[in-house]
Amino acid sequence: MLPHQHLSSIARLISGRDAMLDAMSSAIERFSARDVLFADIRHEVRSATRLAVVNSALRKFDRTNRAGTVARVLVGECWGQASTTQAVTASTLKELLSEALRMARAGARYSKKRIEISHAKPLTMSVQQKMKEDPQTVSDEEKLSFLVELDRAQKVDDRVINTNSVYDESRFETRLANSAGSRLEWDEIRMRAMVQSVAREGSKVQFDYAVKDGLAGYELVRAIDVNNFAGECGRGAVDLLSAAKPPSGEMTVVTDGDIAGLIAHEVCGHASEADEVVKGRSFLTGLVGVRVASDGVTLVDDGTIEGLRGTVPFDTEGTPASRTEIIGRGEYKGYLHTLETSARMGVLPTGNGRAQDYNHRVFARMTNTYFDIGKWTDEEIIEDTKDGLYVIRPTSGMEDVVGGGVQCLALKGYIIENGELKTLVRGMALTGKVLDVLKTVDAVGDTLQFSGGTCGKGEEDYIPVSSGGPHMRARMVVGGG
Amino acid sequence: MDKERIAGKLLSLSEKEGASQAEVFALTVKTSSVYIDDNIPKVADLKTEFGIGLKFVLGKQLGFTSSTLLSESPEDVVKRAKSVAHVSSEDPKFVSLPDPKVASGRMDRFFDKPTANAGSPELLEKVMMLVQAAAAKNVSVPNGVLRASSIDFAVHNSLGVRAGSMSTNVFGFFTAKAQDGGVVGEGVQRCWSRDLSKIDFPNLGNKLKSQAMSVLNATAFKENWTGIVAILAPSEGSEMVHQLVGSAASAENVNNRSSPWADKLGSQVAHKGLTVIDDGLSSAGLLSSVVDDEGVPTRKTTLIESGTLRSYIFDSYNAGVSGVSSTGNGLRRDPRDSLGRFSQPASCGVTTLEIPAGTKSLDEIIREVQKGVYIEHFAWPQVDPISGAFSNEARNACIIENGEITAQVKHCLLVGNMYESLTREVVASSDREVHDYCVIPTLAFSDLELVGQ
Repeated sequence: MLPHQHLSSIARLISGRDAMLDAMSSAIERFSARDVLFADIRHEVRSATRLAVVNSALRKFDRTNRAGTVARVLVGECWGQASTTQAVTASTLKELLSEALRMARAGARYSKKRIEISHAKPLTMSVQQKMKEDPQTVSDEEKLSFLVELDRAQKVDDRVINTNSVYDESRFETRLANSAGSRLEWDEIRMRAMVQSVAREGSKVQFDYAVKDGLAGYELVRAIDVNNFAGECGRGAVDLLSAAKPPSGEMTVVTDGDIAGLIAHEVCGHASEADEVVKGRSFLTGLVGVRVASDGVTLVDDGTIEGLRGTVPFDTEGTPASRTEIIGRGEYKGYLHTLETSARMGVLPTGNGRAQDYNHRVFARMTNTYFDIGKWTDEEIIEDTKDGLYVIRPTSGMEDVVGGGVQCLALKGYIIENGELKTLVRGMALTGKVLDVLKTVDAVGDTLQFSGGTCGKGEEDYIPVSSGGPHMRARMVVGGG
Repeated sequence: MDKERIAGKLLSLSEKEGASQAEVFALTVKTSSVYIDDNIPKVADLKTEFGIGLKFVLGKQLGFTSSTLLSESPEDVVKRAKSVAHVSSEDPKFVSLPDPKVASGRMDRFFDKPTANAGSPELLEKVMMLVQAAAAKNVSVPNGVLRASSIDFAVHNSLGVRAGSMSTNVFGFFTAKAQDGGVVGEGVQRCWSRDLSKIDFPNLGNKLKSQAMSVLNATAFKENWTGIVAILAPSEGSEMVHQLVGSAASAENVNNRSSPWADKLGSQVAHKGLTVIDDGLSSAGLLSSVVDDEGVPTRKTTLIESGTLRSYIFDSYNAGVSGVSSTGNGLRRDPRDSLGRFSQPASCGVTTLEIPAGTKSLDEIIREVQKGVYIEHFAWPQVDPISGAFSNEARNACIIENGEITAQVKHCLLVGNMYESLTREVVASSDREVHDYCVIPTLAFSDLELVGQ
């Protein structure tokens, strides 16, 4: 058993010393300056294979390998960070630390505060992700053949005029040494298959999509029913050609698990990231212990769930991932922390300090964020709704950390009349004031559904996450395009 | 690393490995940034990245790979590119990599040395000028980033292309929070330039503060209005115009039939008052360079002239498919951040979209609106480029009635279809701003819907 329980389900311990980690640890140990409160060095290798078949022809086949090293230094309450793609040597590491120190000191001239990173416990571990089938052992011909099949299966109708099928496998390898004494090495392997069909009839053009992804090996691809996965996408695009414009205004909305997940992520996920709380920007600042939603609402961020895209053994700072209850039965419970925010708020870090890569900053981010289940079946929620809108297929969302609003865009839905799904409607936005919306939740389904995606914070810094939930019912404002 | 030497070496190795054609894109990006958190410089950083992208061609089989050459050798990279090409099925549409052509000017034409040399001390000084201007008793700057980059690339291919370009970019994004008791207001400002000295940081701070203060007075819009005029600030209109025109005019989407503008050359796709140009040599554009990322000379291409669709944009692949010349629109770089962009093959994309300025000021446009809204800030402006539909939440907007601003509002949805909006009169203001992929004025669109709570 690995020291952190969740690791045993997603990773296995490996042994042996690593020369690069030795060099990084050594550079940290030798680096000393009176004003340095914390320092770390990370070396990352990010490789990926991407294939895209468009209209039956291979349009893209890429293999990439990016490697870089980044050093961070904390002085006062300001960080300096320096990264490079030069070879890792004792000299390079020393230069990175010195450069980071110089910049941290420059920033610290504007502040007199100090942050003591006291919760960073020394960990020494090398872990390797568990998977049934390493995608590197599968031939490229087989991956290409899978995509060609996906593309073929989308062509369910002559009106499908454009088919797109994408395969994406990525491998992140991270080494980390820090001034608390940690020496860590881990990998993350993610798979993703995606289809998008475009249908045209006269001047009308519509699309639909489907995605399957996760922290997994090639077994994720083998589990896909090609005809079902891609065929439904093709049919979805054709059906949208005759979809009606959705109604606009405030109404009863029933979401499927994917839309519920998008709302979970945008509504309270971003505003629960503790860097937004320590500076008082989040509308959820100071709400721990306060009732913010109806009893049926429980919201969780959990980076330990096996197989999900946002799962990680450690966050970017080397803190093991964990489960954090954000809202428990309607009561606000807690925030998502980095080493720094946990120190500032006097709590334990939650494993939510994440960075896009060696070129980006670490700050508080989500992993897998979801509304927990209730007692209704999906069918019962629809049958119990006299008039409303059933919304599915999220396309994007945008948080409103300050104002407490939300924008969630969806591709399609159905008008609900007297407990039955009726007219198919096309693209729409859902919005509302978060705390008002959550208090109107009056039905929560009993089946969880997750979907993976890529999360930006503000307008950049993209990381893999997933979000999910059960079917849910609430009052929201809808605008149909 | 010496990008010319590495590019030459990879090309030579590829030819030795049997490539019928090969192309190397070598990119060095140096970026300094300062992140603001709660009025202080929270993170200052320096990032230096070198990477290459290698396209390896075996007849009609194409493979692409990329690397920072940190954990592997050039020989490893070439072998991988060859293996990718070898597995790839033949692409009958592929014609050739581009031939060498004379670039329009010196490779440093869009490079500003002081901006390239700006490190954290210079950026700290600038950004704290903004913070000091914005901060007040009830206003703080909780979030912000300012970064300055130098971007230096070389493209070599086996047909003799030996080209490259150097440029600089500055990007800033700042928010301000105003608070009055339990009421909060947020201001958002971005700045874009190729020249750090051209940005007036105190003025930006003042605008940020006044925007946040004005949102304090905003109330949720409660009605549903149809048939209204929506005036979009350049920061918002630019994203919607880019998403729509950039996708519909892309020869990639035209050739794969997903663009609604396929087969529409010479047709009226917009109101006669609208002209849209893609200008790879734009004096203010953030992606301006003397060659594109395939080494093809950049140029000005009129996409829509007085409402008529005149041209698509072409990279070399799609130009070959269509039997025309590339318009210099094979791109990898991004106006916001070019770090890591070597890892993608060039694809068909806009350089800088320009819409000519009109004759009226913003105030004059507002005075002519009977019923409408002026949008300063959306949650995030988005358009479905396939259907044209949009439904965006306004976070800071002004209601216009009978030519006057009558209320400050937030939390309402602006709903419409951008393809349809373009066919109706689009009024452009007399001033233009650079934002992301665009240099455009404030734009007013008619017959839209505003949905309140």
